Order: sequence, then structure tokens, then C-alpha cells
Amino acid sequence: MTSLTDIPNGSAPPGFWRRMVRSSNGVVGLIIVLGLIFCAAFADLLAPYNPARMGTGGRFLPPGGKFLLGTDEFGRDMLSRILYGSRLTLLIGAVAVGISLTAGMLVGMVAAFRRGWVETLLMRSTDVLFSFTETLIALSFVAVLGPSLQNAVIAVGVAAVPFYARTCYSAALVETSKPYFEASIAAGAAPGRLVFLHLLPNVLPTMIVVATLGVSTAILAAAGLSFLGLGAQPPTSEWGYMLAGSRDYINRAPWLMTIPGLAIAITVLGFNLLGDGLRTSLDPVERR
Amino acid sequence: MWRFLSTRIAMGALTILATTVLVTLLIHAVPGDPVQIMYAQSQGTTPEQIEEVRRSLGLDRSIPVQYAMFMERLLQGDLGTTIRGGQPVLDVILQRLPNTLVLACSAMFIAIVIGIPIGFLAAYREGSLVDTGLMILAIAGISMPHFWLGLMLLFFFALELGWLPVSGNGPLNLILPALTLGLSNAAIFARLTRSSMIDVMHQDFVQTAYAKGLPKSLVLRRHVLRAGFLPVVTMMGLQFAFMMGGAIVVENIFSWNGVGRMAVEAIFQRDYPVIQGFILTFSVVVVVVAIGIDALYAVLDPRIRRA
Repeated sequence: MTSLTDIPNGSAPPGFWRRMVRSSNGVVGLIIVLGLIFCAAFADLLAPYNPARMGTGGRFLPPGGKFLLGTDEFGRDMLSRILYGSRLTLLIGAVAVGISLTAGMLVGMVAAFRRGWVETLLMRSTDVLFSFTETLIALSFVAVLGPSLQNAVIAVGVAAVPFYARTCYSAALVETSKPYFEASIAAGAAPGRLVFLHLLPNVLPTMIVVATLGVSTAILAAAGLSFLGLGAQPPTSEWGYMLAGSRDYINRAPWLMTIPGLAIAITVLGFNLLGDGLRTSLDPVERR
Repeated sequence: MWRFLSTRIAMGALTILATTVLVTLLIHAVPGDPVQIMYAQSQGTTPEQIEEVRRSLGLDRSIPVQYAMFMERLLQGDLGTTIRGGQPVLDVILQRLPNTLVLACSAMFIAIVIGIPIGFLAAYREGSLVDTGLMILAIAGISMPHFWLGLMLLFFFALELGWLPVSGNGPLNLILPALTLGLSNAAIFARLTRSSMIDVMHQDFVQTAYAKGLPKSLVLRRHVLRAGFLPVVTMMGLQFAFMMGGAIVVENIFSWNGVGRMAVEAIFQRDYPVIQGFILTFSVVVVVVAIGIDALYAVLDPRIRRA
């Protein structure tokens, strides 16, 4: 009996690490992401000044000298603000993706496993929500809940659920039609065993790739909302909000615009590259 | 083909219907009293006036009755009046919608004209330095926030060089926002075109075409391009929706007078009728464009055309 149902699942596919190291995209992405986590974890130690203290230096000091990345319109140190901002950015990405991933996988797996009217209902509503587009869902959410960083993160997370649900559903559907899965059903495996031991570990690689790429989408979307003033509120050192504020001083202090923008771009690039690397390592068919 | 299209049209109609329901429920999801919140910012509103607004919005009735009222007015082309200024919401939207559509269409044009040739070139030279270079450029383009790109373009072309106006609504003003939106989407098109073309180039019928001695240019034009375009066309509907979303941000950077800017202002002012109107308009535009692209797809793909 055990030989039939206990197919090794969940471990990395053979050659995963070798392929991961060989994919230069993945390695660069991993380095960027680890660097970010390091900045976020040790922001207290790395930041030379208090990010919120006004008048740490003069106003609009250009990058260099005592203030490596210059100061802003209130004389706050830009480097410290960016470092503390990385915490917020990673948190935003993690929470938003956590929401989309949990809800999306639940819907996708239940639909693929239960079939019948449950499947029809779940997937048709997902289709309708999907054609709503993420921007519109996120904007409607913020419109209802009111502008704040917390609401923006919830909005971004919820908006992506249809996409995660669809992806998980098709991955799970492939799995349920494989011979080993049918064999487990025939062998009398309980639904819990089927879902947690077979379905979950096998859709996980796909979902990890989707989630990694999803972190960058979520960070971009949340920064966009903050940029519009619908997310982070002052005096947060959220990067999108910092960018929005730089607009008024674009001529006088262009570094207020370039630095937070670059920070967002590098972060997003890191997660995109890492996701690309993971995809090529986890899925040999897609190696091109 | 008609079966394929009628399914899509039915799905689109269902989406719009769902939007009308959600838009009616939206106002009830607001924490607190929506009418109080809406008028919190304007002074000198008497309790009688607030009661009057509540009645005119139907908020004193049950939700199904409200929905029926909303639909009845909607079918007569009435989307209510704005809280600020008291203009008909439909007029406000129709006045600004063309601006957004012009922006989204120009951006789409830029994305296609730049993205597809780059993707094709990279696929054609697969594995070469050109391919690697172009794809690094593409992933950098995808990672760049478009609001940042917009600010940078504004800084260089409008402020430093003074070639283009900073904001406004003339034809010259269109260049920077369209470029901002177009360039970030060009990167997506380039990646998509590349992978789709590479898939096709490795397929048997392309090898056969080479084997029977057809010149390379003919194989590429007749076989690779036609088959490789299909997945790209499928993605265009989604890309257009993406651009409509991006337009919301870009319009705000360049003060382009479209529905996106209107929506953000309405959210700040808690002008719920305008927000409702915006959500409805947005989903109608996205659904109509998606159906149009599905029709194009059906015409291009003989498997669907003859079905």
C-alpha cells in the first residue's frame, strides 16, 4: 500500500541547484534579494541617522560627504530613509503576496479537487474578477476603505487573487489527471491525504515561481498607489510616497526622484530575475 | 467562429452585469455613513440636505430596491450627479474618456512598434549577444516603475532640455505620457514575442518548410510570423486593460485630463457617484476591447475561423 501512495514529493527536482547556479539571472536575482533582506533586517545598525528626524542636515544637500545620498526638503537623511523604506517594501510584498497566495491556492485547489458545481462556480467567478483587471479591483478597494498603506496592501493582495487562483487551478488539474493520483484515489486515500500529500507539494513549485514574480508586481502596484497618494501617508519613508513628494523639487533636487525610483527598480528587478531563475530551474521544459 | 465569439460576448456581458452589482454594493462597504463622509468636507450642509441626498441615492431603501433603481437609471443613461459641482456623472466621464483612450491607444501603438520587432530580432538571433542584450534591456524595462520613468522623462525632455511641455492637453503633451506607458509595455511585448517566435521556430512544420528548400525570408514571413503572432494577439486584450490601469498613474504625473485623474480626485473627495461611474466605464471599455481582440484572433487563427 505504502509503495503506491508514498511517492516522494516536495523535494527539489533533480538538478535543481545545479541549474539554479547555472542560470545567471537567478543568481543575480538571489544576490539582490538577499542584499535587500540584509538591509531591511539591519536597518537600525546600517542607517547613519534617524530617518524621521527633520533637520538632521541642511535642506536639499546633494549626495556626498556626510550624507551619502543627500538630504530631502526637511533635511532628513535620504540613505537612512531608503534603508528603513526597504523594510516597508519587503513587508508590503510579503503581506500582499501572502494574501493572494493563500486565497488563490485555496480557490484553485478546491476547484480542481471537488469538480462539479463547486468548480464551475469558483472558476466562473474567478474569470469575471480576472477580466475586472487588478488595477480596478485595487482602486475600488482603496476607494471604499480609504487611502492608507494598510488598505493599499490589502487591495493589491486581493486584486491578484484571481490570477493566483487560475494558475493554481490549472496546475492542480494537471496533477489530478496523472496516473499516480488516480491510483491513490483507487487505493482509498482520504481527501486530506490527497490534497496535502499529493496536490499541495506538486503545485507548490509552480506557485513559488508565481509568488516570486508576484512580489515584484505587488511592490510595483503598492508603490504606484502610494505615488498617487492612495497608499502610505506622511511621514512614512515608503519609496513610492517619497517619489511622489520629489515631484515638487524635481529641478532643485533631482536626487530625491532618482534614488527612491532606483531603489524600487532594483528591488523589482531582483525578484523578477529570481523568479526567472527559479522557473528555469524548476521547470526544465521552459528552460528556453 | 461564431460559437467562440458568442461565448466571449456572453462572458463580457456577465462581467459588466457583475460590475453593476459590485458598484451598487460598493457604497455599502464604506465604513461609516457614506453620505456623512461625502459631505464631511463641505461646510454648511444641513441635516435636511443630507437626508435629501440619502433619498436621491436610494440609500433609505433595501439593497435589491437600490439595485433596481440604479439599473433603471443606468438604462436611461443616467449615472447620477457628482457630489462636487452637481454635474451629470455621464457628461463628466464622456468629456474625459476620449483623452484616456487616445493615451492608451498611442501607448499601445508605441509598445507594439517597439516591442514586437525587438522580440522578433531576439528570437531570430536566439542565444547570441544581441539576444542576451535585448532581453536584459527588456527585464530592466519591466522592472522599472512607470511612474518613475514618467518623472525621469519629464525631467529630461520637459525641464532640462525644454523640448516638450510639462503638462496640458495638446498633441505635444501626449508624447511624454504615451512614451511612458508605451515603453514599459514594449518590454512585455518584446519578451512575449521572443518566446512565442522561438516556440514556433522549433516546431516541425517550420523545419519541414526549410527542408523543402523555401528561402529563409519566406519561411519567416509565411510560417513563423503568422503562427508566432497568435499568442501575442491573445495577450493584447490583457495588455490594453493593463494600459488603462497604467493610464491612471501616468495621467496624474502629466496632468493629462483623462478619467484616471478624475478617478483619483474622486477618491480623495469621496465622490462616490463618480467612482461608481469610473468603475463601470473602465470595465465596459476593457470588456469591449477584449471582445474586439478575440474577434481579431478568431479571424487570424484558421482553427477557430473554420470551427
